[in-house]
Amino acid sequence: MLFDKFTDVVPSFFGMLNQGPLTLTIFLHTVIVLPMFWIYFSEKKKLGK
Amino acid sequence: MAKENLSVWTSISFWRRSAAWVTGFATILLIWLTFDTMGQISMGTDADLQKGITKRVPAPTVINYHIDYKMSEKRGHEVPVIGKKEPFFGKEWSPKEAAALLHLGKLGSQAKNCMNCHTLLGNGAYYAPDLTKAWLDPMWGATMQGMTGKSTKEEAMAEFLMHPEKYPTHARMMPNLKITAEEAKGLVAFLKHMSSIDTNGFPRGFSKTVDQFKAGGTNAH
Amino acid sequence: MLINIKSNSLTNAGQRIGLMYFRVAIILFAAQLLMGLIAATQFVYPSFLYGIFDFSVARMVHINALVVWMLYAMIGSVYYMLTDETGENVAMAGLGKLAFWVLTLAIAVVVLVYIFVQIGPAKESTIWLINEGREYIEAPRWADIGIVVVVLIFYANVFFTYLKGRKTGIMTVMVANLLALAGLYLAGMFFTDNISMDQYWWWWVIHLWVEATWEVFVGTLAAYALVKFIGAKREVVEMWLWIEVLMLFGSGILGLGHHYFWIGTPEYWWEIGALFSALEPVPLVAMFVHVLYDWAKEQGESGEKSVITNGPGMAWIVTNAFGNFLGAGIWGFFHTLPQVNIYTHGTQFTSAHGHLAFFGAYATILIGMMYMGVQGAYGVKRMKATFNSKMAIVLITFGVLGMTVALTIAGYEQVLVERAELGGGWQAFFAAQNLPWYIQAQLWRLIMGLVTFVGFIYLLLDLLTIGKKAKAAEA
Repeated sequence: MLFDKFTDVVPSFFGMLNQGPLTLTIFLHTVIVLPMFWIYFSEKKKLGK
Repeated sequence: MAKENLSVWTSISFWRRSAAWVTGFATILLIWLTFDTMGQISMGTDADLQKGITKRVPAPTVINYHIDYKMSEKRGHEVPVIGKKEPFFGKEWSPKEAAALLHLGKLGSQAKNCMNCHTLLGNGAYYAPDLTKAWLDPMWGATMQGMTGKSTKEEAMAEFLMHPEKYPTHARMMPNLKITAEEAKGLVAFLKHMSSIDTNGFPRGFSKTVDQFKAGGTNAH
Repeated sequence: MLINIKSNSLTNAGQRIGLMYFRVAIILFAAQLLMGLIAATQFVYPSFLYGIFDFSVARMVHINALVVWMLYAMIGSVYYMLTDETGENVAMAGLGKLAFWVLTLAIAVVVLVYIFVQIGPAKESTIWLINEGREYIEAPRWADIGIVVVVLIFYANVFFTYLKGRKTGIMTVMVANLLALAGLYLAGMFFTDNISMDQYWWWWVIHLWVEATWEVFVGTLAAYALVKFIGAKREVVEMWLWIEVLMLFGSGILGLGHHYFWIGTPEYWWEIGALFSALEPVPLVAMFVHVLYDWAKEQGESGEKSVITNGPGMAWIVTNAFGNFLGAGIWGFFHTLPQVNIYTHGTQFTSAHGHLAFFGAYATILIGMMYMGVQGAYGVKRMKATFNSKMAIVLITFGVLGMTVALTIAGYEQVLVERAELGGGWQAFFAAQNLPWYIQAQLWRLIMGLVTFVGFIYLLLDLLTIGKKAKAAEA
């Protein structure tokens, strides 16, 4: 089963994101890494000038 | 610098900005997670216990209840099960008394430096058994009640804590830490309370094969 | 004896204060090893000093001396590099010296109380005066407060010197990281009846020190040492430093979750702790690559054989690159996933990891910094390794690796028999402790501990004599 039902004691925001293997951690890694693309392109623009 | 730096990948400012972003955001996430967890691990109340509301860390009055540690189909691991009321040192403890006793026990656990031989919730030193579920250890029943001549588990535990050198089970003995009778009661309450904490199934299969072990540790017929 | 290390050649007050910290650090290092030997002996012969100086006391002093000597060597290193990096004299050198004596006196009192009073009654006064009973941060509350004050003075010195002077990348990371490092200590200074809450915040101090801020600190020291020892290019070193900060904090801060699997905290920590901490070895690989890359690069570019200005120092920096990756990275990753950790948590496995990680990640580089201090103290331009330097690094590294392997074997035994087979508990614990292979492993740990100690004696001799010899050779 890829997606399990929520099993923890108390439902919470992070508990809800934790819906089976890796869902929560992939989400957190994504939100951390995505803005780095923006930093990359803004730096690239600066170098081009 | 002699030549112009043309790649973003070797530019210090790219890495500096990225480091600042990642560090800052990870810190914010950690603080947010901490608030969420604080809510979940703060102690429950006596009313929660009476209504049967499950808390990860129950109220000190959990010492008035029978505690078990059973496999949960839903959670996929063992969880503490709080059962019917049972006397603790021969009486029922009011919320105030129970809180004071737990306070004494927790202070005692630090003052006697338990953590530098034992592990509590798996953290500490590895010279003596883990105490997470010590209240539920089958050794207290038959063996220790027998050795100390006490009629209840909590009295046997308190007696052992006061005079551990009198009841050795191994060449490696617990030293006498000058624990008073009152402190021993507190420590037993602390251990009973700790065994009621929902540790996500740690330790797994607690003392499951102890009977086999006592019989010689084999399944052969 | 340690006064023998002259500091006449030191050009500024910061370096002299640095040397003061180094001298105490090496004494505490010796204390750590002696206490470790007592504790290791008790594993093999449980009656050794039973009831007089129990395992709990030896072990407490063992790990506290460890933490404190490392903090001393860290503070010493910062003072040592401060003027060189910023181009300014230490802002308040007199106050810095006073703080050193206050801290040293306080630590002497704390250690004497640990050794002679050991434990107290279950009262608040014990926590305030004798010991707090929380692994690694046992220091009683009065000392906690004292440490905070002294560290504030140290930090003010660093901060104001930094403000006046050059703001290099190395110093910027250092100043920001030290603030976090010092601030985190506050999270360990309160009492609660709730053991889950207690351990939640306790890990903020322990984890966010050793798996985040201390690691960044090591990255900063390595950057500075590479510039000093092999003349690595500052732009390259500082770029790597920012990459390391990015990866260390990116993985280390939320990697804290791997301590929240079983202490009463919610299940979502399984995923957060597992995945973020699984990435913690990545920056350690980066640091490893970085050190070797710079070394090779400097060797190639100059056209001739590169000049290493401090042979033993550089050897310890390279050992750090290996040791950090191996001890913190590999041995940490072994048991960081909850699927594994449910069985390994609280066994000798953790102990194996702890020994190699503290040595590989921290002891090595701080010893390297001590060699830098000795070099500066005698004003030696080029310091080559002596016989003693070589014996020290070989024996200590071999000894710690040996202890780690022995403890890993003991850990396996414990995991398989006590945890997997018998499910933990009193009898299960001793069933594992009685296994012949477990007992053998503990014996080997003691032997390897002795090897480490012999190596330490060579190290001490070398630190005391190498500067004089090198100076004489140069003259």
